[in-house]
Amino acid sequence: MSQNYFQIDEHDIKVLENNGCQAEDWNTVYVSPEFDSTRVRDVVFEGEIKLGGLTGEVVRNDSRKKKCGIYKAKLNNVTIEDNCYISNVNIELSNLVIQSGVIIENVGKIACVGETTFGNGHEISVFNEAGGRELKITKQTSAQIAYMTVAYRDNQKLINKLNEITTDFVTGQKSNKALIANNVQIYNCNKIVNVAIGESALIDGALSLVEGTVDSSTEAPTFVGDGVIAEHFIVQKGASVTESAILSSTLVGEASQAGKMFSSENCVLFANSEGFHSEICSIFAGPYSVTHHKSTLLIAGMFSFFNAGSGTNQSNHMYKLGPVHQGILERGCKTGSSSYLLWPSRVGAFTAIIGKHYANFDSSNLPFSYINEKDGKSVITPAMNFFTTGTLRDGYKWPSRDRRKSAKKLDLIIFDVLSPYSVQKVMNGKNILAALKESADKKQEFVTHKNIHIKRLLLKTGTRYYQLIIDKYFGDMLVKRFKKEKPDNLKDILTYEKNPELANADWLDLSGLLCSKKRVESLIADVINGNINSLEKLQSGLENIYNSYDNDSWNWFLLKYKELNDKELADETNDNLINFLDSWKDSSLKLLNMVAQDSQKEFEGNTRISFGIDGNTDTDFDNVRGTFADNKFVKQINEEIEAVNLKYEALKKLISV
Amino acid sequence: MSDTLERVKTVTADLLKIDVDIINEDSRFVEDLGAESIQSIELVAAFEEEFDIEMDEDAALAVKNVSDAVRFIGEVLKEN
Repeated sequence: MSQNYFQIDEHDIKVLENNGCQAEDWNTVYVSPEFDSTRVRDVVFEGEIKLGGLTGEVVRNDSRKKKCGIYKAKLNNVTIEDNCYISNVNIELSNLVIQSGVIIENVGKIACVGETTFGNGHEISVFNEAGGRELKITKQTSAQIAYMTVAYRDNQKLINKLNEITTDFVTGQKSNKALIANNVQIYNCNKIVNVAIGESALIDGALSLVEGTVDSSTEAPTFVGDGVIAEHFIVQKGASVTESAILSSTLVGEASQAGKMFSSENCVLFANSEGFHSEICSIFAGPYSVTHHKSTLLIAGMFSFFNAGSGTNQSNHMYKLGPVHQGILERGCKTGSSSYLLWPSRVGAFTAIIGKHYANFDSSNLPFSYINEKDGKSVITPAMNFFTTGTLRDGYKWPSRDRRKSAKKLDLIIFDVLSPYSVQKVMNGKNILAALKESADKKQEFVTHKNIHIKRLLLKTGTRYYQLIIDKYFGDMLVKRFKKEKPDNLKDILTYEKNPELANADWLDLSGLLCSKKRVESLIADVINGNINSLEKLQSGLENIYNSYDNDSWNWFLLKYKELNDKELADETNDNLINFLDSWKDSSLKLLNMVAQDSQKEFEGNTRISFGIDGNTDTDFDNVRGTFADNKFVKQINEEIEAVNLKYEALKKLISV
Repeated sequence: MSDTLERVKTVTADLLKIDVDIINEDSRFVEDLGAESIQSIELVAAFEEEFDIEMDEDAALAVKNVSDAVRFIGEVLKEN
């Protein structure tokens, strides 16, 4: 709150001096009309001091009420707005603007030293540890802006413009006073230097925060807790960093969590990511990247919707030219316990990696796979991971676990497991497997594709599985459209949405945002020609792409259908439309049945080992794990099977009209 | 039937790299013969190649033991 301050009068000076206060020069102490000198005790004033009204109470995070006032503190060039409670500052508060309702209690030093940008604009060597993909982190850096900056190094004009735009934003953040915004609460902290703290943030027990921003808002408060050491950092709204986490040159994204001695250097972790125990270095962790285990090291990688198993490790260094290698796990990958990858490698979306892999392979066009190790070889089982419990569960859980509370979210996330992005890769995969089958000799046990082995026997199975995925996706698109439009006749909804030409391209995953390459190219052109010249405008351009997803994915489906069938879906005969629905129903039910069978494995045979320790195995198992029939996920699958049948009947009725 | 059984046993033994003599009609692929989940899919693919048939994916994966596999393959061969 901006307000008028007046030079403190003799009466208040006397009261303050009687309360044990002293000033370097009382002439540089200003107070607001509501200032109450009786609520200030044992305070040393240095430099220019502005003090707001001190009336009423504040409520601590533990619900205890405190009378507003300033007690036992040294203030140096500080503005304290209305109704704050500041007590027991052991070293000093220096060069700060403290807004209304702030509580600061039992701290060492909170200061701004010289001119700073509070971590904004700090350059980090993300994704490639040796550099070349530097990213200037800011509190406005979204997963998509970071992705474009880090990944599009083949377009130097774009990179130059992105750097200019970022630098402009950073310039606007420059100050020699740090802001502690309205209703911030800071307790038990040792050192906070050159850190801007957003509204309603709670900082309790941090050891050392230097050169950073804790962005926060009333609707999405941010928490920095016990033992945290952070330097050159950005923590975005709603995030939590606690339990002795160590951050160095790191951005922690919206509603992400870091704790339990997690350490990070030169990394970004975007929305809803989680880092506990592990060590990460030069990692581009897109939304929903999760690493929970003490023995895990993630290095020089790019992930999203990723789950790292315990002991996951990669090498980015061949002891030749330094740590120059990098690797990509496309969205939805998981690594099993003690898995190892030798960078550079690129793993296709929604793939589970088990074992140790010493080959540099590229499976980006073989999504939904299992990669394991057999006799030292990396072996891929294409498409299998689509029909396992884990992938379907992940698809359900990600949207429901979005912890972000801000109305306006920075990271733009399309959650769909099946999308033009993943299905185009499924189509590529199907073609690759079919071609490999065509050329394989029956005596061969394995064939290879981009340095990864595939069992020859599984080429036909994989091709079939991929076709099931395509059939399911195509039908799902129709069902989605049907639910939205509620037509009287199916053909009424088989029309293109606006600008189908924009969907007719490769689809990209901009770290959570799925979109056609043409949309991105148009955005890039606007950045290069200067139409987009600020982070705000760039974010707005990305939001337009995000908002066009439903439109574009529908158009993509119709275009792909036409490409594969030489005919528009709308021009199909009723019999062919029924065949289309039959394929969808068949593939959907097969998926659900196979997932149910996969879930059943969790209740039978060897899964009972170690149950019934000194008694009845089955009773012990049922009481601890529950039964297959009563399992919540299994029930959900059964409900979906029922729903598929109902939707099929509803759509079929619309064909005969 | 007995020919199908012998061929199922041979394919299973080759794929799981086990001695054919330990396989009998009651042998369960996972619990008794040690098939891992990926190998279940490989077994289906191997049976398809051996008998030159296509098996319904979810129904085939529901087959748990050798005698069920023999019966299932017999039904597919009959349909063909």
